[in-house]
Amino acid sequence: MITIHALRFRSLAIDTLTIPPGITSVIGPNGSGKTTLLRLCAGIVVPDAGQIMIDGIPPRETETGWVNEFPDKNILFPRVYDECASALRFRHSPCHETDESVHRIVDTMKIRYLLSREMRVISGGEKVLVALAAALVTSPRLLILDEYDSHLDTTCCDHIENVIRNSGASYVIRCTQQMEIAAQSDHLLFLENGRVKYAGTPAEVFLSLSGTAFYPLSWRCGI
Amino acid sequence: MKIVLNHLHVQRGAWSLVAHGTFEEGIHLVSGAVGSGKSTLALAMAGLLTPVRGTVEREDTKSLMLSTQFPEFHITGLSVADECGSWGLDFKTVIRSAKLEIDGDASPLTLSRGELKRLHLACVLARQYDLLLLDEPFSSLDCTEKERLCRELSGRDSGITIIFTHEQSIFPRVDQLWEITGGELCALGRTPESLTRWQHAPVLVKKLIAAGRCPRNLTPGDIREAACRTHE
Repeated sequence: MITIHALRFRSLAIDTLTIPPGITSVIGPNGSGKTTLLRLCAGIVVPDAGQIMIDGIPPRETETGWVNEFPDKNILFPRVYDECASALRFRHSPCHETDESVHRIVDTMKIRYLLSREMRVISGGEKVLVALAAALVTSPRLLILDEYDSHLDTTCCDHIENVIRNSGASYVIRCTQQMEIAAQSDHLLFLENGRVKYAGTPAEVFLSLSGTAFYPLSWRCGI
Repeated sequence: MKIVLNHLHVQRGAWSLVAHGTFEEGIHLVSGAVGSGKSTLALAMAGLLTPVRGTVEREDTKSLMLSTQFPEFHITGLSVADECGSWGLDFKTVIRSAKLEIDGDASPLTLSRGELKRLHLACVLARQYDLLLLDEPFSSLDCTEKERLCRELSGRDSGITIIFTHEQSIFPRVDQLWEITGGELCALGRTPESLTRWQHAPVLVKKLIAAGRCPRNLTPGDIREAACRTHE
């Protein structure tokens, strides 16, 4: 379990929250604290007060994969292959193992065609896919995705949903503004004004959001 | 007023895109798979990318605006007030229209992604442009804001608005659908007739069409109306 206790960071305040294993989507209005919560869970920032533990281990001691919605902010290398290999190279993995792992993940994600391309010339959606490959190449225990889906088409999203499901990550925490994708999650958190307003299964949380724009259109239509 | 793509051919290494067609006044939606060239086409239509062959002819379009996929690419001001001023706009008017509660002294880059996108779109939509190119305008916006943006875009009654997007749920009224497949821009035609030909149609739209209830357009109201028809 991921446990959050007495968390305080800027305007985000969570007294108690438990996130079970599986895929958890974080939804809510702009500025409600979704990305801040994701950054705290990833250990990118540390709380002003309180704590987050992932199966009893602090975020910074947990193998974590992180994907930013604006991957340009996280790109380190000019070539796609080097970007995908970066985490393994930083830990001095043997070259042949790194090469095998990179090819395995790009094949799984169906982006082998990008390997020799330069990061600066690929599309926004392709950059997100490369960032996801770079995050998954180490088989992280915790995978955190910040609105990765807003630059991907439906077919791609469906495929990536399977990749994420089969990634082996114990916990996937993702922020999304696509409610149809949020509805496929195991757990859902709705944030508002820096607080977790609703938490539960998608059915439970969306029941509380019926009548709002956050309620999935397909559910509104009964399809 | 129209924009004519005359056998436009853009190329980056082994990748290329061919586009031929005419965009007249109204709201156009361009879809395509990841990496199909939507953003590249937007740049070419804005005159910011030189084609290998062919031309982009803009007829009677005196003003043009391109909103890029990532809003921080547009930021020039060190504060939110400066940023609004750089567009020739009053800060208070902009944040009121964007329904934001932010300090004018704040750096735009300290805003959340969604807030930054709302600030940027409020600046873009504060003026009327003959040609408005919107690359992924819905990304980062929460559902309430997507619906508000769609209402605003649906209300545009003049000029050419071209939306390049992967959005799957919330759309404005769309007059004409386009799709990039196999390296080529294809004109699918006017809505609703074109919806049945739309390969990248949202799952919900595909389900409605399969059920024999093609929506009249793509707004949430149109989708709900079509869905209700399935229950008759």
